Amino acid sequence: MATRLRGRPAHAPGPTYLAYTPNGKKLITVGTNGAVRIFQHGSDDEPAIIDVTTDNHTAVVATNTFFLVGAEDGSVTKYSLLTNSMEEILVRCSLPVRDLSLSRDGEWVAVASDELEVKVVDTGDMTRIMHLREQSRPVKHVSFDVSGSMLAVSCSDGVVYMYSLSSEQPQLLKRIDGLVKTLETDAEASSKVAWHPDGRAFVAPTSTRDIQCLARKDWQRQKAFSGGHRADISAVKWSPNGALLATAGVDNSLCIWETRSQRLVKTFEDINHTILALNWHPTDNLCSYTNHNGELFIREDFVPSPSSSLLKIALHPAPMNNEPLSKISGNARKQADDRQKPDGVHRSVEDQYLDDLLGPDAMSEDDAGFIEDDDGAGYAEVPNGFGKRAAGAVNGLPVKRHQPYPSWRPQVQEAFQPGSTPWRGNRRYLCLNLTGFVWTVNQETHHTVTVEFYDRQEHRDFHFTDPYKYDKACLNEKGTLFSCPPSAQSQQSATLYYRPHETWTTRMEWKTQLPAGELVISMSLSDSCIVVMTTAGYVRVYTLFGVPLLVHRQKSTPAVTCASFRDYVMTVGTGPVSGDGTTRLLYSIENVRRDEICQNEDVLALPEGVELRSVFFSDKGDPCIYDTSGVLLTLLHWRTPGQAKWVPLLDTKMLERLASGKKDETYWPVAVADNKFHCIILKGGEEYPYFPRPLLSDFDFNIPVSSMPANKDDDEDKELAHQKGLEEQFVRASLQHSLQRDLVENTNASSAQKAEVSMMERGVDKVLLQMLAAECREGEERGMKALEIAALMRDRTGKMLEAAGKIASRFQRDILGDKIHQLAERRLVGLVDEEEM
Amino acid sequence: MALPLPPGLTPAEVGFLCEMELVTVIPRQRLEGLELLGGPTQPMIPPFATPLPLWLALLLKKQRRANISPPGWLNVEALTHILDFETDERTADVFSPSPRLPQPTSTAPLEEDPYLAHDALELSPPFLKDAATAQAQDDALPYHWLELSHLLLTHAADDFDDPDAVHRLLRDLREVRMSKLRKGFRVLDAGAGVKMNGMGGMEVAEVRGFVGGVVDGLRINRSREEARKEEEAEQRENGLGSSNYRDDEDDDML
Repeated sequence: MATRLRGRPAHAPGPTYLAYTPNGKKLITVGTNGAVRIFQHGSDDEPAIIDVTTDNHTAVVATNTFFLVGAEDGSVTKYSLLTNSMEEILVRCSLPVRDLSLSRDGEWVAVASDELEVKVVDTGDMTRIMHLREQSRPVKHVSFDVSGSMLAVSCSDGVVYMYSLSSEQPQLLKRIDGLVKTLETDAEASSKVAWHPDGRAFVAPTSTRDIQCLARKDWQRQKAFSGGHRADISAVKWSPNGALLATAGVDNSLCIWETRSQRLVKTFEDINHTILALNWHPTDNLCSYTNHNGELFIREDFVPSPSSSLLKIALHPAPMNNEPLSKISGNARKQADDRQKPDGVHRSVEDQYLDDLLGPDAMSEDDAGFIEDDDGAGYAEVPNGFGKRAAGAVNGLPVKRHQPYPSWRPQVQEAFQPGSTPWRGNRRYLCLNLTGFVWTVNQETHHTVTVEFYDRQEHRDFHFTDPYKYDKACLNEKGTLFSCPPSAQSQQSATLYYRPHETWTTRMEWKTQLPAGELVISMSLSDSCIVVMTTAGYVRVYTLFGVPLLVHRQKSTPAVTCASFRDYVMTVGTGPVSGDGTTRLLYSIENVRRDEICQNEDVLALPEGVELRSVFFSDKGDPCIYDTSGVLLTLLHWRTPGQAKWVPLLDTKMLERLASGKKDETYWPVAVADNKFHCIILKGGEEYPYFPRPLLSDFDFNIPVSSMPANKDDDEDKELAHQKGLEEQFVRASLQHSLQRDLVENTNASSAQKAEVSMMERGVDKVLLQMLAAECREGEERGMKALEIAALMRDRTGKMLEAAGKIASRFQRDILGDKIHQLAERRLVGLVDEEEM
Repeated sequence: MALPLPPGLTPAEVGFLCEMELVTVIPRQRLEGLELLGGPTQPMIPPFATPLPLWLALLLKKQRRANISPPGWLNVEALTHILDFETDERTADVFSPSPRLPQPTSTAPLEEDPYLAHDALELSPPFLKDAATAQAQDDALPYHWLELSHLLLTHAADDFDDPDAVHRLLRDLREVRMSKLRKGFRVLDAGAGVKMNGMGGMEVAEVRGFVGGVVDGLRINRSREEARKEEEAEQRENGLGSSNYRDDEDDDML
């Protein structure tokens, strides 16, 4: 086909508009005269013409089966593409229609007219209409977002109104003032909002002739495409995958921008009339536009060759601030390099990348929790393995692009810094624990870091301007540790910075630079040492005042995270691939002062499809992990090599507060202290805490032993619940007892701690006594179980068994009482040893 | 007169009584446990939430040594829910219920009626535990709701998410409940009653004057009526002979 550019006189001179069908086969143009033209894609034949009764058309939108045309007489007419004939007049306004927007599924059309209200009409049933009435002046443009749940209304008063249409009654979510220019509804210039295909952001032309990107989540300004136009912008359109942006100006200009760098790819000079409507072909490197002179132009090879490969990426993320651009950020994925090679052939890789990007730990502004599929229309897609919607294949992506070889790569858990959150807006928490919290604000040229403490008497909050852009921090009672990535401007390599809270000399802050090219992956601060894991695979241990104690290479790399308590350091790295395609995580625990390894490359027990959320030590010094399925586990017998095992302490999915099923909340782990799990409750699908700092909540441990009976009012169930509660209490008490015994046996324990062990032992036996009593109450036939319970008693003095015998006799279970008595006697003379039991 | 105050408690006294309620405090500095007359308090260790009596919590709040975490029923969502209940037509003539009573503490032999057991300690509204702490039930107003929320909003407004909305909802609630109460008394008849379940302490104190007046009025009416009836009966018994004498006496009485 010829690449020569020629205008196709489509309509009488005057404003002309066009729309592609989503499958890209047909192109529909409307203009001032009373005809609609339908061009076949890839054919130079004369277009089909539908003669219509209206003229001075102002807008057209199309699905694969029908299209809608708005006209100055206020009507919106529906035409069938199957028969090329008029079907019905969908809606009639009293004033000229200015713009139409169709939801992605083609079910709803938004109609902007010179009336004050915007009508959103069901294209199948014209009696279903929603009215949006919040704006004070006529509306110039309307624009549905990708999911069809939100509508951006650009009003002629210079305000963009954001409506949520997910409920029956549309709700105004936000008035965005000062974004677009105040324009008359019939102006050539445009204030139309263009949603990025990934749904997280949108752009709009500003009065400064830039194209400003805004995040959907917080309506904050993100990056801008600036400096390309010298006059008002008349049309803005994303390429189908969002990797490129085409804009046209009223000064006869047409530009292509690259999304990633926000730079101009090409500016076209050969435009003679103002482009009023612009449309990318859904699949090909082709763009069509109509101008003010009734002409249609179809530009083939629209994007010049080096950038045209960008069109083949599945979906490009929107240009947001504070994206995880590189692996230095603790929250970035390892696959971030994929961005650099958009070769488009390995589509699965790209999709994988996107899934990763929208994964639970990237700062995805995902709207999965936002759209509720309450009417079953299916616009909320089924979540994939990450609990997110699948990377929406852009409409009509060519199926023929087969991947020659299936490429596979294991799913790697990305590195993280415990207690930190990713950027949201321009803020993030660097560290959040029971001592206090460190947060930073991105001020473009520098950051400002604030450290606040819970105990304001003991410590004083501080705040400083941070030119190094620290991206990780640790905080404890003694000091604060920061680290920053290397900066290109100051030629500085990655730096550690430690600031003690109080000293008896002058304040002794110190900084140390890592060797060039080495980045900090994760670090931790304890009462006596500093541990840093770097990209070179090293674990570097420093004393609190910066004396390097130890450097060793981690056995399992890439490193994931680390934690420390006094001299014990726990490092977590990536191990071999397991059956489900994810990599196993391996942890090691060592005592850096004594240079002893407690656990060596042991497996971090996580079930299939569950990732590690956080690692920390409890206040008693036992390692704890919290995973993405909401289970808190602790490590038992970890001081003896080879003996360690992970024991669940609490399954937050089984909390009583969630039992009603009404609450949708998750828990962000903070710490384990005082035999309680301290966390932040996140509601409404949030993944991370944000500002203002939410309150800490605490939950008692509850080992998932058995499910609780649902009906608590029933007497029988009450009894059962009592027994189950006792069972759970028994398991929990024995766990705490063995944790405490480990502690006492392996450290220089104080006498109070030793006394606590025997107290806990008695505690376990007391729970057993209660269980015994419950069994005795049940009846004679439960005697076997009762005897078994009696045999579990740990007490060696015989007092507990004596008490058990008394309980049995009180309930007149004489046989049981005799047997318990015999057991006690055999124990006393040492006939029953551990093995036999 | 010895005491120039009307019978019952003044609002200030009700507010004072309310200060014994435990509220949840998030300490901002350490404080050892205190030996108070009402029992020892827990030591305060930031950032762990600690239950403290309201008066102490307000004192610490004023000294900026603690934050008060408002109880569950004192947020916009819960109050809206309660207000919906109060304004619903179907529940127009009852007040929203008070918090659930705890299980009776006795293992009494009188199982069918645990409240009759001698060793039972049954708690009822003014003395319910956790009525105002963060663990409070979030769909019921406790006995001291009005005075407690007033004190918290006055002294610890910055610990609320949206103090203005909470304030507005509380005012609405108070007006709705007051009007219900007044409506109840309008139809009050001799021998009839108004169900005041779920009424708060301050509300009782507020309507005491009014209700006292109404009830006294009823009692006077009733005694007069009774007196007249007695008199008529006597007249019937005695015949007309002594009527003049009786009339005189009646005149004296009135």
